[in-house]
Amino acid sequence: MKETKLKQLFEAARREPAPLPPDHFADVVQRAVSRQGAPEPFSILDQLAFLFPRVAVAAVILICCCLAGDFLLSMFNGPDLGEGLARLSDQWLLAGNGI
Amino acid sequence: MAQSDDAELLDRIRGGAVDEFAELVRRHQAHVFAILSRYERDAHRLEDLAQETFLKAWKALAQFDGRAPFEHWLSRIAVHAALDHLRKQKRSRNEIGFPELGEDALEWLHNDAEPGQLEARDARELLDAAMQRLSPTDRLVITLLEIEECSVKEISALTGWSSIAVRVRAVRARKRLRDALEQLEQKNHERNETETTL
Repeated sequence: MKETKLKQLFEAARREPAPLPPDHFADVVQRAVSRQGAPEPFSILDQLAFLFPRVAVAAVILICCCLAGDFLLSMFNGPDLGEGLARLSDQWLLAGNGI
Repeated sequence: MAQSDDAELLDRIRGGAVDEFAELVRRHQAHVFAILSRYERDAHRLEDLAQETFLKAWKALAQFDGRAPFEHWLSRIAVHAALDHLRKQKRSRNEIGFPELGEDALEWLHNDAEPGQLEARDARELLDAAMQRLSPTDRLVITLLEIEECSVKEISALTGWSSIAVRVRAVRARKRLRDALEQLEQKNHERNETETTL
């Protein structure tokens, strides 16, 4: 089908007027809403689910930055992040055990 | 002004004035029907779909933060409801045949040299017949882009898809629509020839 003909088809379809809602529609919805009760509060789980893609992306970026930082430090013979963390955790654990 | 009116009404509804939700529906029902009528032509099913949209909006009212106009947020819910509806229709449809088209629509379809004016109703009939061959997402993109004349950015905001995904889907959907229209023309031509022979 030619492009001009396709465009003509779309233009004609656009001209179709939208149907009007029936007179009683808002009342029908109101009755349904009244049966359902108060809207659900936005729970913590809902908020987390809503934020999840962003939180997941932020976590991935953070992990990548840490890995990149560790790699760069090891290239320039800097302190090993993994070793530093292990030493710190030992200090806390040993200190906690009174050693 | 309309945005602040909606904001005040929403505050009252969220404050407990549940009965005022009907007023919110009255303000936005024409807009919701206009969106959904592009995807469902049967009056009863359209009304059910519109009701479903407003009920979803009611359930999710706590999530509306007021940063964008309420109508935009509601439009997004309507578009998602339309997409779910198209997916359900696709699943329940066992066989996708080509429906019978009206004479005027057929004549326009066959006439490449001077297609002539096409009535809106006939255009919708042709498009609906061809779009049955498209996936729900393709149908949604084509409808938003070509019939609603939304920009890529607007479609992205309505659907949650990236702009790149919208563009890729639009190119693919347009090609598939063109193929479907050509098949429609071919099928009806064969059917006419068979009827003439008989």
